[in-house]
Amino acid sequence: MMEAATLLWIYFYSVLLVTVFLSLYGVYRRPNVLKKIIMLSIFGDAANVLAVLMGFRKNAASPPVYPGQTYTEWSAPNSTQLQQFASAAVDPVPQVLVVTAIVIGLAVLIFLSAAAILLYRHYGTLDVRLIRQKIIEGGVEE
Amino acid sequence: MFQGPIIFGLTVNEILLAVFLTLALIFTYKTLVERDLVKAVVYSGGEAVSYALAFVVMYAPDLVLAYVAVGLGIYSALFLFVITRTERYEKEVVEA
Repeated sequence: MMEAATLLWIYFYSVLLVTVFLSLYGVYRRPNVLKKIIMLSIFGDAANVLAVLMGFRKNAASPPVYPGQTYTEWSAPNSTQLQQFASAAVDPVPQVLVVTAIVIGLAVLIFLSAAAILLYRHYGTLDVRLIRQKIIEGGVEE
Repeated sequence: MFQGPIIFGLTVNEILLAVFLTLALIFTYKTLVERDLVKAVVYSGGEAVSYALAFVVMYAPDLVLAYVAVGLGIYSALFLFVITRTERYEKEVVEA
């Protein structure tokens, strides 16, 4: 019998993977271009949460701002306090990377939205099946 | 350092994280099956808020500030702008 905590951590990763596969299914199978873009944004969000979850840990605690110090008086933290801090702190590196990923994802989505508007102006629809039909009927556009 | 109470060997943060991730999965499914794109945008906004709350309990409060502004504000405004310029309903087309 596994511990409840182990089962819960397996559940975190499986829920995130199910979300990733569901959003990828939406990107592949939904006919509307805007729906594809929305599902792509959800895919990016789930990937970001997956990265931050890899930095999360068991028995994490909210860290003190200055380990072993108060705001008014300064003293160097001793090794016990540093050990206590390092045993409960989460990994900050994925969090810093995710800030960059959010901004880049925003730029990509704005570009895709502009492309969708141009697609609608050219073909009069956002349905990829209708667009394919129009391309086949009208021949290859120059 | 503050850890909070332990329930069945689990911290409160782990239990809340499971709740928020499940909520995001439900919102993702609702977004996938919705044919009205305005409702789909609203559901994706709820999904972004769920992930922002998951960032809160994962001790990443700096991401929450960026995530609520971008995920709920800019994404929704951008998608609604695209809907005003294009079409609102995702049609079920009979294949010829």
